[in-house]
Amino acid sequence: FMMAADPARAWSDEQLKGEEIPKRELITFIQENAAHSFLSEHKLLGNIKNVAKTAKKEQLIEAYNQLFESKRFKGTEVDAVTEQVQAAKISDAPKEIKTEPVDEGPPKFTKTILKKGDKTNFPKKGDTVSCWYTGTLEDGTVFDSNIPATAKKKKQTKPLSFKVGLGRVIRGWDEGLLVMSKGETARLEIEAEWAYGRKGVPDSKIPPNAKLIFEVELVSID
Amino acid sequence: MALEQLCDVVQRCQAIKDEGFSPEDYDLFFTAGRTCLEQGNSAQVLSILVDEKNKNIVRCMGWNLLGPLVQILLKKEDKNLPHCHAILSHLLEICSPKELLVGLLEQVEEADTGSIAETVTLLLKPLQTVLLRLGMKKASSVGMALSTLLSQVARLPVPVTKEQEEDDVFGLCHCCTALLQFVKPFVEEVKEGVKDNNRISKDNELRVELLKFCMKSLSKPLLEVQLKDPDTLLKSPLRDFATEILIILSSIGESLPDLLSRNVLKRREVPGFLEEEVRYPKESLACLSHLLFVDHIAVDIFPAVLSPIFVLQCNMEYIELLLSRTEESHLLKGLVLYEKSLIRVEDNSLPVDLLELKTFFSVPQNLVKVMTLCPDQTLVSETFCVEVTCNLMWFISIVDFDLSLLTSPQRTKGLKVFQLSIDKFNTEAKYKFFKGMLKTSHHAGVEGYIIKNIKNQIDFSLKPCNGNDWFLGKHLLPLLRLVLCLPHGPETDLLQNLDRIMESLNLLRYMLIRDKEWENETGIWTELYKIEDNYLKPLRTGLNMSKAHYEAELKSAKENKKISSKDSKASVCTVTVDNEKLPNMTPEMQIQVLQSAVFTFDLIESVLTRIEEIIETKERPLS
Repeated sequence: FMMAADPARAWSDEQLKGEEIPKRELITFIQENAAHSFLSEHKLLGNIKNVAKTAKKEQLIEAYNQLFESKRFKGTEVDAVTEQVQAAKISDAPKEIKTEPVDEGPPKFTKTILKKGDKTNFPKKGDTVSCWYTGTLEDGTVFDSNIPATAKKKKQTKPLSFKVGLGRVIRGWDEGLLVMSKGETARLEIEAEWAYGRKGVPDSKIPPNAKLIFEVELVSID
Repeated sequence: MALEQLCDVVQRCQAIKDEGFSPEDYDLFFTAGRTCLEQGNSAQVLSILVDEKNKNIVRCMGWNLLGPLVQILLKKEDKNLPHCHAILSHLLEICSPKELLVGLLEQVEEADTGSIAETVTLLLKPLQTVLLRLGMKKASSVGMALSTLLSQVARLPVPVTKEQEEDDVFGLCHCCTALLQFVKPFVEEVKEGVKDNNRISKDNELRVELLKFCMKSLSKPLLEVQLKDPDTLLKSPLRDFATEILIILSSIGESLPDLLSRNVLKRREVPGFLEEEVRYPKESLACLSHLLFVDHIAVDIFPAVLSPIFVLQCNMEYIELLLSRTEESHLLKGLVLYEKSLIRVEDNSLPVDLLELKTFFSVPQNLVKVMTLCPDQTLVSETFCVEVTCNLMWFISIVDFDLSLLTSPQRTKGLKVFQLSIDKFNTEAKYKFFKGMLKTSHHAGVEGYIIKNIKNQIDFSLKPCNGNDWFLGKHLLPLLRLVLCLPHGPETDLLQNLDRIMESLNLLRYMLIRDKEWENETGIWTELYKIEDNYLKPLRTGLNMSKAHYEAELKSAKENKKISSKDSKASVCTVTVDNEKLPNMTPEMQIQVLQSAVFTFDLIESVLTRIEEIIETKERPLS
């Protein structure tokens, strides 16, 4: 009794093939008991309604039987995480890890347009955007900027480029840039929660609970 | 005389057309020239070399004199210096740049450890002059020069204290500063190409050589250096070197954020992928990360808008690399980088999908390895094998590894960071992490620590408004089954598993007291009969057996001692640890060891009894 006891078969083959067990019940059972990767492979992840629409009864019965044969129940998958195979599979695609969207409420930033953009080209999630920006604290302290002092130097430096909407920058930027159009210069006032929160950035000019103000020029979208 | 010989060969060669000099001519010129220089006749040699009539001869043969010339210059005898410098300048102007390069680099390569710094300092300007003469074709030569120079400089001892850095006895700081001057014109050339819309190709040779140089510097010497902050050391050549390297990277078109996130975002389908790997060695990037986030180097050219979780994700790759090293300095760097990356993140914020990334599991496992190995790695013992003279082998396991009693500062810090990493996970991630660690760590101390964390999570979850599916409700029980078990049933070595057993008993006792039977929020009460059968009863059995065993041994050891008290210094038994014999254990020591084992069992028993009492009270029908 060292490991979690495996779930027991709830239904016999006859019961499964017959009419008495609705697809949804079968899906619920499998979702509750199978390991994440098993569900993923059998395309059984997600909202039960949607799965029921796409999966045929035969497929579900197959999966159900497969589950008990392979014993790939929940809780057996953790060891696989540390294996190279899993790691190789995971690192194929760039991983977008998003922080949990907490129950929302109003957006934690405001945008004021300083110079209008073309009002037609807006970045989508995953697009690469390039911008010039200056960041200040509420008291006016400049904590970051990529705009060089002289116009001549501006030719030598490049604007900051990154893929927007993927959680690689603070949330205020991810959300703010998605509503800017190409060529626009805007003032983004971002509350601490969508910036660096209660921690601030230790060893830097950004204190805890700091509201950040950015002047951003969206130069290009790719 | 050498001078005459030199004049002779030169005169003879003046007559030879089209530079058709023979090997003998070369030899004679070289030997005579060298001797002249060594004998102090540098002025005469100079006048021969600058003579217009000898231009072709000098162009072909002159560079061979570099060797002896450099040796003399290094000796720094005032008398000859001005002339020798003049000779050098002349050769640099006249001879073929490629040949000069070979000659100069040879001198650098052959410098012995004691003269590396001086040689490098002497030859950097000449090398630069020669390389600039190569014009458009300089890239591969620049690369060769930088590689040779760095290899030598990397051999210099790295200053550890601030005084050592100030004194710079071995010249590392001086060389680093000089190297920056050396690369300046090449960096400018690439920068020119990068500016405007005249995008320089990523594969531009000179750019690639500079990139290689920066990457190599990051590895050696920068990874070995412990930089001092401005408060400790105001003017630090090494800090300046590090800063400049990062600025150079940025100037030649390598975005620092992109460098940082390479390992996280790379795609395997990119053609020439392997070459990319070689161009951006992970170790160098690890150093880069440490410079940015621990030493705060070049912060003003690094954007402040990156999401802390993304930064952590990027850094995990480098932390993993550093924590897998054996050199203590690298381990420490990994540890501090981990800490600095974690503190930027809010508690309870890391989502569970992060655990699908290999590094989020492997790093804590590496950390545990760091904590459980002694710093000098000579003894990893947790068991003493005591051979008693009467041919019976008793294995006494004494767990000297108690996580709360770590003495090495590194291990203490390691533990702190380990706990920090746990605190940053959100609830579901904590659950998954604990489960994973319990299944894979196979170390009683670590398991005990995890179990204590589980207890804290349960406690937290039981508080109003903190309820969750993971440490209460249906997921808790599978986790508890991993906690409340004996790995080998009643035969489990209780001493070796002490930490784990104590923590799991504490957990159980806590739950039985805190979670009222009629509420049963954790489900423990419905599970209890299973726990009794599968854990408590076998534990009780094992405990009783072990106690009886050791008490008997203790008794006989005490008797033995009485008998041989006259020879109390004679050892009763030999002790081997990891197949190495320690100085023999005396009877007193043996008794101490056995006694402490018995005390340990008492300890376990006290908690076990308490639990049995609680259960009995609840099960007794109320009158």
